[in-house]
Amino acid sequence: MIRIENLEKVYKTEEVETTALNGINLHVKEGEFVSIMGPSGCGKSTLLNVMGLLDKPESGSYKFIDTELLTLNDRERSNFRKRNMGFVFQNFNLIDELTVFENIELPLIYNKIPTAERKKLVNEIIERMNIVNRSGHFPQQLSGGQQQRVAVARALVTKPKLVLADEPTGNLDSSHGNEVMELLCELNETGTTIVMVTHSSHDASFSNRIINLKDGHVISEKINKSRNEELI
Amino acid sequence: MFKLNLKIALRNLWKNKGFSLINIGGLAIGLASCLILLIYVSYEWSYDKQFANNDKTYVVYQSVVANGKTFSWSWTPNVMAREVQEKIPGVKYASHSTYPRAKLITVGENKLGSKAVFADQNFIKILDYKFIKGNSRQVLKDVNTIILTKSFAEKLFGNEDPINKIVKLENQDVLKVEAVVEDAPANSSIKFDCIMPWALFEKTESWAKEGNWGNNMCLTLVQLQDNKFFTEANGLMNGIYQRNQKDNTAKALLHPLTKWHLYADFENGKSVGGKIDQLKIFLLLAFCILLIACVNFMNLSTARSEGRAKEVGVRKAIGSTRKSLISQFFSESLLITFISTVLAFILVEASLPYFNNLLNISLQIDYSNVNFWFTLLALMIFTGFIAGSYPALYLSSFDPIKVLKGFKIKTDSSVSVRKVLVVGQFVFAACLIVCTAVIYQQLNYVKNKPIGYNQANLIQIAVDGKVRDKGKIELFKTQMIKSGAATDVTFFSSDVTEGGNNTTDVQWDGKNPKEMISFNHRGIGYDFIKTMGTEMISGREFSPKFPNDTSNVLLNEAAVKMMRLKNPIGKIITFWGFRLTVVGIVKDFVVESAYQKVAPMIFHLGTNDNANMIIARLNPNQNISSSLAKIDELVKGIEPNYPVNRKFVNESFEVKFQDEKLLGTLSNWFGGFAIFISCLGLLGLALFMAEQRKKEISIRKVLGASTANILTLLNKDFIKLVAIANVIAFPLAYIIINQWLSAFEYRVAISFIPFLLAVVISVIIAVLTVSIQSVKVAKANPIDALKYE
Repeated sequence: MIRIENLEKVYKTEEVETTALNGINLHVKEGEFVSIMGPSGCGKSTLLNVMGLLDKPESGSYKFIDTELLTLNDRERSNFRKRNMGFVFQNFNLIDELTVFENIELPLIYNKIPTAERKKLVNEIIERMNIVNRSGHFPQQLSGGQQQRVAVARALVTKPKLVLADEPTGNLDSSHGNEVMELLCELNETGTTIVMVTHSSHDASFSNRIINLKDGHVISEKINKSRNEELI
Repeated sequence: MFKLNLKIALRNLWKNKGFSLINIGGLAIGLASCLILLIYVSYEWSYDKQFANNDKTYVVYQSVVANGKTFSWSWTPNVMAREVQEKIPGVKYASHSTYPRAKLITVGENKLGSKAVFADQNFIKILDYKFIKGNSRQVLKDVNTIILTKSFAEKLFGNEDPINKIVKLENQDVLKVEAVVEDAPANSSIKFDCIMPWALFEKTESWAKEGNWGNNMCLTLVQLQDNKFFTEANGLMNGIYQRNQKDNTAKALLHPLTKWHLYADFENGKSVGGKIDQLKIFLLLAFCILLIACVNFMNLSTARSEGRAKEVGVRKAIGSTRKSLISQFFSESLLITFISTVLAFILVEASLPYFNNLLNISLQIDYSNVNFWFTLLALMIFTGFIAGSYPALYLSSFDPIKVLKGFKIKTDSSVSVRKVLVVGQFVFAACLIVCTAVIYQQLNYVKNKPIGYNQANLIQIAVDGKVRDKGKIELFKTQMIKSGAATDVTFFSSDVTEGGNNTTDVQWDGKNPKEMISFNHRGIGYDFIKTMGTEMISGREFSPKFPNDTSNVLLNEAAVKMMRLKNPIGKIITFWGFRLTVVGIVKDFVVESAYQKVAPMIFHLGTNDNANMIIARLNPNQNISSSLAKIDELVKGIEPNYPVNRKFVNESFEVKFQDEKLLGTLSNWFGGFAIFISCLGLLGLALFMAEQRKKEISIRKVLGASTANILTLLNKDFIKLVAIANVIAFPLAYIIINQWLSAFEYRVAISFIPFLLAVVISVIIAVLTVSIQSVKVAKANPIDALKYE
């Protein structure tokens, strides 16, 4: 589904140029659950952001199914993103001023889904995520795990083809972290493609394939046999 | 501690350069606007106050009932002063003098037109002009003498000592220079170049010798020994006309000299204000602009509060009291105000010449004046305290534990206060927009109201010296037309854009003997109608074909209406004892105020003696400047000894609108400043809001919001505020503008357009201001704000 070729990204500050991505090649198949790992500063978050069209690389090619995404302008990128992608962040990134329900509803509003259908979709996902009794609350009133569930719900409500997760368990304790990982697995099992950046090999063990990054290069790739066997 | 606080304050200013710029700039513009307006107000306020006993000095006014209205003006009989001096108790001096008149003064070949006052000796005792040379007690005694102002003396004699030198008045009388006085300040009601003895006036104008209580021809000034005599003296003045002339219905009153300029409007013989009303508007404007600037300051300071919260927490935790925090924040606002004041000062100095030019006045900062420095200091402290009050109280109220533990400060209350402040600013801005628009509408309305004659290419040439001689006007007329410079020429007994002679002494059949009607009366030349571009309603105008025309008159429409004449042509009227036949009715045209209805007017055939203005319509097919040059040449040919005094009628007419124009210009400028300052405040607030909502905006973008979505989101709140401000402003503006308009006899109807204009302008301005800032945030890469927490 995703073909990334020779991707380069350089960060420029006043004096220093940092090469974050140095000719990355990466293919992701539909329905895959890929983890990206590597030490701090290896470029894994940058890669994820480029994949999510949140950041622009200097050169390379990024094909999604058959569309080249790097030549799109801002508006087209924004449109493509809202139709095809969902995001889960380490720090949840919920809007404090909106309730759980409204937070989840927001991407549907931007996708111009009619009100009645929006309501239906949000209620469905709230039920699925087990946060029905929280739908009127504000983010600050929830625990970290619950907040991340809301964030996942928000990422899924538009039924995206690809979910991008940036250290989804980073701010959670292990039991809440496991809950979230299980949620992602369930999701993957229903056919959603997931790309996740993580530090934790425990989390990575939930995925089909683990990619190791260092200094902007892919240094190794590992198929997670246990998970694949499970699948089979 | 103070040093440390100052350091923190300065570092804070430096760290947030954008905010500091908006803060200081806004405050500086506000202070500068306020200062200029205050300087203007004080300029107007100190009119005629330069004299030692100005508080005990009075101008004699007379009030007469005519056309059912009471008219009051400061024209009095020449015998008034002596009567007042002798009969009214408590009077120290009473003087009579002319108003400044245009007179030609020559020294050798140096010919200068001047404004001359003819006065008795008491005049310079009451108005104690500063004598540079000569003895103030000896002057104005001999007939052929003159006092010059310093600048006029320099124009006549250069650097030579003018004392005892000889000048010529109107090329006839030889006068000796007795003294030189300091020029009267620009804000004096009586501005002159020279003073000559009253006796000289009587010598040159023999009619002025005759003492006549019915002839109001001069200015009478009275100085009391003490103001405790005022009530009695003023009471006695009331009947002074009647005591001296039995059937004279006029009443006299004493009007304080210090109120002469600002309280010049009279109704029913009582002073009801005048320019002072305009001054009050400007004072209010000055105060409001300053307030707007202060509001900006409050807005920006509290908006930045989160950045300062930690400092407050630390200070409180290590033992600072709230009081010392408050004083710290106050000293910061005083520091900013001080910087702004310095900047404002530079702005004022830089812009004063421009304003002087624009308003045709001479404002300047009097640095030696203690009051000025005192006011400046007071203004600065006042601004510092007002601007610093809310931030100081708000910032110092933070709970140290909460801010240090990183709890978010509840911004609800401060946000709503800020919103109220922004609404307040925009209420003021919207009011100003509406008022300025209506002032312009009114000005245009009155300007474009038909005045009854055609002003285009119409010029007036003053009749001076030999031009007045028998046959010279006719000669000049023929020459002008022959040369092709003018197409039509006539003359008029006074300036067509000014008031002039009027009388109530007119009789006709069917007149109600108890009714007083005041008629303007003017002498006119032949071809008057064609030259002026006006029309005859019926009958005919004067013509050389009718040698009998000296016993005929024309009336204007207003006169016919006032006199209630059915078939006016052929009617006989008695005017100053002469029986005259009405031969024509002239369409009404404006000679005095364009704001009032045209007054009744009688036209009689003028003679060379009373022709004061030659009126000519320039040839439209000729180059104007060459026509003018030709005319000047012709005038010089007849009278080489006078400078040619010629002007365009439409230019003189413009002068009538000076007060309203001034109001329009000032409210336009300062309204613009007020709006600009409000925008700075809005910009600052938008800056802050966008900064605070950066994360939210990024999340929204990640979730698919377009730039337009984000801009709408950010603008929505501000537009709401501006809309509320407009709703509040409308009734306010309506009341204010209705009040202002009610003073005009002819006034424009208040339409919805100014209000619509206010909404459109304020919304556009708000959207632009907010968008300038938010576009940046809305377009930013969403990940930048999300990456680091």
